[in-house]
Amino acid sequence: MSEHGEGGHLPPKSTVTRWLVTTNHKDIGILYIVTALFFLVAGGVLALLIRVQMWTPGGTILSGMGYNQIVSIHGLLMVFWFISPFAFGLANYVVPLQMGAEDLAFPRLNAVSYWVYLASGLLAVVSFFLGSSFQGGWTLYAPLNVPTFIPSVAQIGSAAAILAATLFVASVTVSSVNFLTTMYRMRAPGLRMRDLPIFSVSIVLTVWMMLFAFAALLGALVILSADHILGTTYFTNEAGGALLWTHLFWFFGHPEVYIVFFPALGIMAETFQTFSGKRLVGRKWFILAMILVALQSFVVWMHHMFLTGINLEVKTIFMATTIGISLPFDLMMFSLIYTMIKGRVRYTVPFLFNLGAVILFIVGGITGVFLGAVVLDYQFRGTYWVVAHFHYVMVGGATAMFGGLYYWFPKIVGKMYDRKLGLAHFGTYFVGFNLLYFPMFVVWDTPRRVFEYSEGFTFWHRVATVGAFLLAGSFLIFFYNLAKSIHSGDPAPDNPWEYGSAIEWSIPSPPPIENFPKGLPSYTSGRLEFLDDEEVATRSSGAEPTPAAHADGGTATDGGTVSASTALAQAPETSMETAHVEEAHADHASWWPFALGIASFVTFLGLAGLQWEYFLWPGLFAVAFFVAFIGIVGARRDGYSPIHSLFVLLAIGGIMAILQLLAIDKGGLDAAIAGASPYFYVTTLGAFLGAGTLVSMGWESFQSPEPALAEQWPFSKVGKWKLGMWVFLASDIVLFGAFIGSYLFMRVANGWNDWHHLIPEEHVVLPGLINTYFLLASSFAVVMALEAAKRTDRRKLLGWLAATFALGVGFLINKGLEWQHLFNLHGGAFEGGWGITTNIASSTFYLTTGLHGAHVIVGLLITLFLIARAWKGAYMGEEAAGTVEYFGLYWHFVDIVWLFLFPLFYIV
Amino acid sequence: MLTLAWSLAIGGLPLPVGSAAGLPRSPADQFGEIFLVFAGLGTLVGIVVIGYTLLNAYKYRRGSGNGEKKDVVRPELGEKPGGGGGGKKLFLSFGISAIIVLSLIVWTYSALLYVENAPEEDITIKVEGEQFSWRFIYPNGETTFNELRLPKDKVVKLEVTSTDVFHNFGIPDFRVKADAIPGQTTEKWFIPDETGTVQAHCYELCGAGHSGMDADVIVMEQGDFEDWYAGTGSNDTQATVGGDAALAGGDA
Repeated sequence: MSEHGEGGHLPPKSTVTRWLVTTNHKDIGILYIVTALFFLVAGGVLALLIRVQMWTPGGTILSGMGYNQIVSIHGLLMVFWFISPFAFGLANYVVPLQMGAEDLAFPRLNAVSYWVYLASGLLAVVSFFLGSSFQGGWTLYAPLNVPTFIPSVAQIGSAAAILAATLFVASVTVSSVNFLTTMYRMRAPGLRMRDLPIFSVSIVLTVWMMLFAFAALLGALVILSADHILGTTYFTNEAGGALLWTHLFWFFGHPEVYIVFFPALGIMAETFQTFSGKRLVGRKWFILAMILVALQSFVVWMHHMFLTGINLEVKTIFMATTIGISLPFDLMMFSLIYTMIKGRVRYTVPFLFNLGAVILFIVGGITGVFLGAVVLDYQFRGTYWVVAHFHYVMVGGATAMFGGLYYWFPKIVGKMYDRKLGLAHFGTYFVGFNLLYFPMFVVWDTPRRVFEYSEGFTFWHRVATVGAFLLAGSFLIFFYNLAKSIHSGDPAPDNPWEYGSAIEWSIPSPPPIENFPKGLPSYTSGRLEFLDDEEVATRSSGAEPTPAAHADGGTATDGGTVSASTALAQAPETSMETAHVEEAHADHASWWPFALGIASFVTFLGLAGLQWEYFLWPGLFAVAFFVAFIGIVGARRDGYSPIHSLFVLLAIGGIMAILQLLAIDKGGLDAAIAGASPYFYVTTLGAFLGAGTLVSMGWESFQSPEPALAEQWPFSKVGKWKLGMWVFLASDIVLFGAFIGSYLFMRVANGWNDWHHLIPEEHVVLPGLINTYFLLASSFAVVMALEAAKRTDRRKLLGWLAATFALGVGFLINKGLEWQHLFNLHGGAFEGGWGITTNIASSTFYLTTGLHGAHVIVGLLITLFLIARAWKGAYMGEEAAGTVEYFGLYWHFVDIVWLFLFPLFYIV
Repeated sequence: MLTLAWSLAIGGLPLPVGSAAGLPRSPADQFGEIFLVFAGLGTLVGIVVIGYTLLNAYKYRRGSGNGEKKDVVRPELGEKPGGGGGGKKLFLSFGISAIIVLSLIVWTYSALLYVENAPEEDITIKVEGEQFSWRFIYPNGETTFNELRLPKDKVVKLEVTSTDVFHNFGIPDFRVKADAIPGQTTEKWFIPDETGTVQAHCYELCGAGHSGMDADVIVMEQGDFEDWYAGTGSNDTQATVGGDAALAGGDA
C-alpha cells in the first residue's frame, strides 16, 4: 500500500484520502480539533438532557437508569474525548512551530494516536446502542462498576465504555511518548526548555503528567476490564475493593485535572502577553509555579476521599498538600493580571475569552479553597458545590482554549474569523456560562447525580437550565463563525497580531508542509533567524560532537548542546555517510495509522461482548496471525526467502492446533461455533486486522528525519528511538506499579499473613524460580545478539535471537504448565482448582503475572520480526543495530519486572 | 502592617469548638459559622481580585494613554521568549494571598479536630445503605427502614456501612455525612437540635434508584423518643446493653 514513492506525496486538502493518510502534525492538529468539537457537541447534548431533567424536582423525561447513563457518559465524553484532545489539537499544530521543528519525532505514531482516539470515542458513543451504556458515573466507582451490580441490559455497553476508555489511554500514552521525545530532541538551536514560548512549556509539563497519571488509570481500567471479562475479584473484594478503586482512580484523577487545565494556562499566558503588548510578568516564576503544580498534583489525591474513613493524620497531610497546590495558582493569576498593567490592551476575541477564563478560574479557585478545608469538605461531598467548582475551573479552562482557537485560527486557516460573530459568541457564552453554573453554588445542597431535589431549589435549577441552553446557543454562533470564516474570511497575514512574538508568527498563514520556508529556525544569535542550507552545513560540521567535547557548543546555549550528524543517523532506513546538508526526504503519508484505528475499534468492540469461556482464543489466533503476516509481509518487503515460508507454515500449523484445542475444549468444532457469540468473531477479526496492520507498519519505509541542528539537552547523546523507548518504559513502570500496588493494598486489607490461606500448598516456588532463570538467560542472549549485530555477524545475531526466542518460549511453557496444574487441583482446600476467579489471591496472582506474561509474548513476537528481518541482512553495523538495542531495553525491562514479581508472588 | 491586622482579625474570630453549657457544640452550628466566614471572605476576595482585573483591563486599554510608559518591555516578533520582570510585586500579592489562605485553613483545623474527636455519645445507631433504601439499627436491636428517629439535643453517633455498593448517607440539616462503603464502617457524630422531620439523602451514585434514595429523619423531644424507644426492641430482648443506659447517660 503506502510505498515509499507515494509516502512523500500528500494528496491535496480537498480530498478525503489526504485526511486519512496524513501524518503531518498540522493536519493531525486540525483532525483533533474538529473531532474534539464533535464530542463536545455529543457531551453537550447529554448535558442539555440533564438540565431538562432537572427542570422539575422528580425529573421530567428520563428514568433513573437513563439519567445515570447520560450523566456518566456526559462526564466521560467531556473529560476524555473533548477537552484534552482539543488542547492537543492546538498543541499538535502549534508546538512544533513554536519549537522550530518540522514535525513531531514520530509522525506515524502521531497519526496512530489520533485514529485510536477517534476509534475509542466512537466506541464510547456506540456503547449506548449495545443495550445500555455505563451508568456508574464518569468516576466509575467500585463496586458499582462490576458486572454484579450492572443490570444485564447494560453489561455489554458498560464493558464497551470501559474498554473505550482503556483504548483512549493507549492513544494518550503514544502521544506522550511522541511529544516528550520531540520536545527534548527537536528544539531550535538556542532554545533551552525554559526559553520555549509559554504555551509549549505548559504542554511539556502536561505531557509529563500525562505519562505517569494515565499509566495509573490504565492499571485501574485493565483490572476493571479483567473483573468484567475474566471474572477476577478485585473490586468485589469485601475487604478493600471499593477503596482500591478510589485510590487508583484518584491517583490518576487528580493530575488529570491539571492535565486538562495546563494547556489553558499556557494559552492564557500567551494571549495576555500578546494582547497586553507586554511581556509576561514574572515569567520564570510562572514556569516554576507550573512545575511545582505538576509535581504536587501527584500527592493530593486523597482529598477526594476525605469521608472514606482514612485516619486523621493522613487527612491532615492531604489537606496540607491540597492547600499547598492552590498557592502556585495564586501566583500565576497575579502574573497574568499584572501583565496588563502598563500594557496596550486590545479587546480582541481571543483576549476576551482568555480574560473571561481568568475570571471564571478565579471563582472556581476560590471555591476550591472551601473544598480544601476538610471540615467543610465533609458537607460539600457529593453535592452541587463540587459540581459547580469543577465546572468553573474545567470549563473555565475550555474557555481559554476556545480563545486559543480564535488566536491561532488565522495561522491555521489563513483567514481571519469574523469579529462581530466572535463578540456575539463571547457575550452569549459568558452570560450563559454564569447563568448555568453560578446557581449551582446557591443550591449547593442538591446531591450530585440526583434529579429529585428540594422544592425550594427549583427556581435556581431552572435558571441553570436556561443558562445551559444559552451556552449551547453560543456554540451555534461559534460553529457558524468558524465555517463562514473558513469559507470567506479575509486573508490573514503571517502575523495578524501586533506583539505576537513566537516563531509561528514569522511564517506564512497557513504554513507550508515543512513549516519554515526561509530555512531552519535558530536562536543562537539571541534572536530568531532562519538559516539557509549553507549556514546549517557550516554550523553542523563545526559542532561535530565527540563524547568529551559535547558541552562546548560555543554558542549562547548555556548547558545546551548543538548536535548535528548524530541526529541524521537515527532515521532507520536512510544511508548516512557524512553529515551532508540536504535533509533526507521526509514522508508525510501512511495508511497504517488509519488501518490501526479501524482494527482497534473492531477488536475492542468485540472484547466488550466476549464471553468468559472464549476469552483466550482470539488472543491465540492473534499470535498465529502475527506470525503469518511476518512471513507474508516480510517476503514482499525484503524479498522472498525460505524463512518467510517457515513462518507462514508455522502460523498455519498454529491455527490448526488452536482449532483443535478449541474443539477439545468445547466438545467439537460445531459446538464451539454454536456457542460463540458474534463478539467472538468480531474480536478475532479485529485481531486479524491488528496483526496485519502492526506488521505492515513495522515494515513500512517511512522517513522522519531529525533536524540538522537542534537543542537537545539533556538527551543529546540519546537517539530519538532510544529516548522514545525509555519514555515508554517509564510509563510501563507506573503501570506495573499500579498492579503491584493493588496487590499490596489488597493483601494488607485482607490480612497480610492470612493471605496464605487463600493460596494452595501446591503453589510452590520452583516454577517461579525456573522462570527467573529462563528470563535472565534470555536477557543475556539479547545482549549477545546486540553485540553480534554491531559486529555485523549475521549468523550469530540470528543464533542469539533464536536463543532469546527459545528461552522466552520456555518461560511461557513453564508458566503454562504451572497454571494448568493450579487450575486443575483436586482435593484439599481448592476442590475445583485454583483459578482466576477463585479468590482475591488468585486474581491478583494470575492477573499481575499474566500482564507480565503478555509483555513477554509481545516481546517474543517482536523477536520473530527481528529474526525475519535479520535473515535478510538487517541490523548489521553500529548504527543499524540500534533497533536490536531498543528491543533489548524493552526485554531487560520485562525481566526486571519479573525480578519484582517473583518474590512478591512466590516467596513472601 | 497588613499581616498584623490580618492576624488580629483571624485571632478575633471565635475558635469553632464547643462548648455551650452542658451540650457540646453541634457540627452543624460549627459548619454554619465556618461556611459563613469563608463565603464572606471568598466573596470579598473574589470581588476585589476580579474587580482589580477588570479595572486594569480597562485602564490599560490601548488608546487610553495609560500604557505609554518608557520603561516597558514590549514583545517583539522574533525575540527569544523571556519575561517582563516584575517579580517583587508578584511575590507581595502572592504572599498576601498565601497568608489569607493558610490562616483560613489553620483556623478550620481546630474545628476538624473537634469533629474528629467525638464527645461521649448518647446513642449509637448503625446505618446500612442498600440499593435503594436505608436501614437503621438501634442499640436494642430495633430496625427501621427509611425512617430514623432521634432524640433532640443528644449526641448521636452513626456507624455507617453498606451491604452492596458505595453509598453516602447525609442529613444536610444537621450537617452530618458519611461514606457507606461495603466491607467497612465509617463513624460520624452530630446533634439533632430541632424537633421535626427532615430528610436524609444518598450522596454517592449507587444505581438506578439513587435519585430517590432518601430517608425521613424524625427528631422527637427526649421524652417522646424514650416512649417510642421503650416500645421497640428486637424479639429476644428489651433492655440490651446500651439501651436505656445510653439514653440516661446524656442527661444531667
